[in-house]
Amino acid sequence: MYISPRHSPRALGIGSRFKLLVISAGCFLTCLGPVTPTSASAADKLTVYSGRAERLIKPVLDVFTAKTGIQIELLSSGTTELVNRMKAEGGRSPADVFITNDAGSLEMARTAGLLRPLNMREVERSIPPQFRAADNSWIGLSGRFWIVVYNTTMVKPGQIKSLLDLADPIWKDKIAIPNSGSEYLQAGVSVIRASIGDDQTRKFLEGLRNNAGTQVYQKSSQIVEAVAKGQVAMGIVNHYYVYRHLATQPTAPLAVVMPDQQEGGMGAIMNVAGIGVLKHTPRVENAKLLVEFLVAQAGQKMFADLDKEYPLHPEVKADPALTERKSFRAALVPLAKLAELREPTLLLIEQVGMR
Amino acid sequence: MIAFHRSSVSPLQLAALASATLVLLPLGYVTVLALSADASVWHRLWTTRVPELLLNTVSLAGAVALLALVLGVSTAWMVTRFEFPGRRLWEIGLVLPLAMPTYVLAYVYNYLLGFGGPMEQVWQMIAGPQARIISPQSFWGVTVVMALDTFPFVYLLTRSALLSFNVSFEEVARTCGASPLRRMLFVTLPLLRPSIVAGVALVVLYVVSDFGAVSLLRYQTLTYAVFQQMTGRSDNQAASILSILLVILALLFLLTERWFRRKSRFYQTTGRFRAPQRIRCGWLHTAALTACLAAVIGSAFGIPAYLLVTWSLSSKAQTILDAHFLDFAWNSALLSTLAATAGVFVGLPLAYLASRKPTWLNTGCLQAAYAGYVLPGPVAALAVLVLFLNVLPFLYGTVIVLIVAYVLHFLPAGLQSLEPSIQQITPNLEEVARTLGLTGRDTWRRVTLPLIRNGVIVGWVLIFLQTMKELPATLLLRPVGFDTLAIRVWLEASEEYYQLAAPSALLIVLVGLPALALLLSRDWRAA
Repeated sequence: MYISPRHSPRALGIGSRFKLLVISAGCFLTCLGPVTPTSASAADKLTVYSGRAERLIKPVLDVFTAKTGIQIELLSSGTTELVNRMKAEGGRSPADVFITNDAGSLEMARTAGLLRPLNMREVERSIPPQFRAADNSWIGLSGRFWIVVYNTTMVKPGQIKSLLDLADPIWKDKIAIPNSGSEYLQAGVSVIRASIGDDQTRKFLEGLRNNAGTQVYQKSSQIVEAVAKGQVAMGIVNHYYVYRHLATQPTAPLAVVMPDQQEGGMGAIMNVAGIGVLKHTPRVENAKLLVEFLVAQAGQKMFADLDKEYPLHPEVKADPALTERKSFRAALVPLAKLAELREPTLLLIEQVGMR
Repeated sequence: MIAFHRSSVSPLQLAALASATLVLLPLGYVTVLALSADASVWHRLWTTRVPELLLNTVSLAGAVALLALVLGVSTAWMVTRFEFPGRRLWEIGLVLPLAMPTYVLAYVYNYLLGFGGPMEQVWQMIAGPQARIISPQSFWGVTVVMALDTFPFVYLLTRSALLSFNVSFEEVARTCGASPLRRMLFVTLPLLRPSIVAGVALVVLYVVSDFGAVSLLRYQTLTYAVFQQMTGRSDNQAASILSILLVILALLFLLTERWFRRKSRFYQTTGRFRAPQRIRCGWLHTAALTACLAAVIGSAFGIPAYLLVTWSLSSKAQTILDAHFLDFAWNSALLSTLAATAGVFVGLPLAYLASRKPTWLNTGCLQAAYAGYVLPGPVAALAVLVLFLNVLPFLYGTVIVLIVAYVLHFLPAGLQSLEPSIQQITPNLEEVARTLGLTGRDTWRRVTLPLIRNGVIVGWVLIFLQTMKELPATLLLRPVGFDTLAIRVWLEASEEYYQLAAPSALLIVLVGLPALALLLSRDWRAA
């Protein structure tokens, strides 16, 4: 029996001691609050949420800062994660600008009412309309393609022509794919659904799932690595991962198929990296300056070349290492449709039981 | 009864209730979210992902717990029962893996044992060019990596129990004619059981809530699936359903553990305490012990640390060492210190009340506190974010949000050492102090606190180290521009820039070392 009347004063004693400590700790914590960098109200500032990897965006932003004097606070994180965060933050979000690698996510942010339509002549002039939202509440900045990368010692040229070939059972355990949470996979499957219908897509996904087995990766760079080492014969990735790998290891036995270019094929699956300005931001002028900078020729070149992507500005040339853009065609599914296609796509991916 | 009512509204009680509520709020949020999901969502998950995920999670936790148990108890036994040259160094070395984040260990082993990696090349020189070694991206690979990183939990608690162990019990058994094996199985191990079980519990909870290592090693557990669901789609219902399963799983485990521990409570009641004598070893023994310990510490800390240093010294890594780097280190240290301190303050009333006044309310509060550990980091973070935005919006965007998430998540780590340390003191000591005329406060200051001090320090350090390494909650909740070392490791490593990740990883290890030194500078004898 530990409970007895003479114990309660002790409990009180300890309790008040605790209360004091807790209160003082609380004060300490509260004092820290203002010290931490939050959205400062300084006019020459801009907070950017970025789903694009930090090293692929920061150099461009640094040039912008040097040019305009506008300081940038950067938060790099996962794309969908950031959309979720902005949704939760609502009007309290410290973010002024959202940059990401997936048109579907930008469109989702738009339909959630997070983005502000922009009326800017520079945008209309530089970026073709199929790469922007109808009301310009997001604007594409660079193009990226889903390709098949293969190990030249394991696959012969011409053996693969279409993404759909990857479901063939002869490739059992020889294919690496991104996991089902990847925005690229979701966008890619959405385009396939729109092109060949749900039933065919389901058959394709089941075949792909069986062929991939446990070779399901979080990052496309890991897929390229696995293909280069010969752990798997081929994989599906965005094109620039291959060029990035080849830039550091030029002798890697890697080659690229731009898929579905055959007669009647659906064309290569394209997605864009893009930018949107948040609805509630008080720093619209700064945000517009950033957009203007990124759609202008110099900004386009820098933004696309950092990641070996295709600039969207018709007069800006892509990195010469890349396949000539005019030599292949893209699938005809409008980017803005990626968002509405996404939920049923996720459902299908889950039903098939992909990881 | 009157006393019960008076004590149930004491400030201590209120503090415990408040903490329990704080922990339960996010859990409640996730539960509501999960229950509000359409039946078809449940059905879909149940028929596609859940069986595989449950099986993977349970078997991984079981395998890691077993391996960590063997590693932890045997190493603790070696350094407490034998005297040999270098013993003191090994004693320190065995806690070093605590400073090594699991995801860093996972990465290093991905490199070492991976396809075409150095180990495979060595093996192929021996066994021929087609030979393969076991892949780190497999069940056993993940098991080994996680066990190597978590066995110090078991080691630390077992060692401190062995040091404060009264040899009289064993001697009595010996005079009664029990063989050494019998003595170990029927006297020593049962007496150590509370500590060992507490250590294993930490390991299991760590494994089921880990995100970094399983994602790098591509092994699908519930937590990994939750993170994928949360970062891969815009509604969090599926994630919350998987989280609820995770919580149920962990609660089942915790209840079992508690049931085991309830049956064993030991008090040192007489003054006849005798510390164990260490057995002096000959050179053969010394060599064997040294080889064992070196293999364990080498693979859990030595080799990874060596690689991190090498990578950090590469010219590529040098380019990122600038003033920002100090900021990251400072941010990490600040967050960890605050979280550990807050965790101890929140944990003490819970552990104390549950141990001294085990009413259903107090035990319930304590049990509630364990919920935070099993709520996956990303989900806890989301719940914290929603709660702050709705209840205390002016605090949003400050480090306080992060601290709350850390305390939620790591409180159990602290409790696992606070609780046994309080349980080990017989309440008689406090009662005697009171009858001798000390006030409640003086009793606490002069009797209780000195006796549980070691437990408090261990708890503090454990929370500190885990916060230092924490990833998913920091990713989701950090204020803009407030990066930690763990975030830096992640940002670089997830883009495969491992040389660039190395300096941050190395610094996490280095900042963790003083905390470990503090842990070791104490003599753990409780009596």
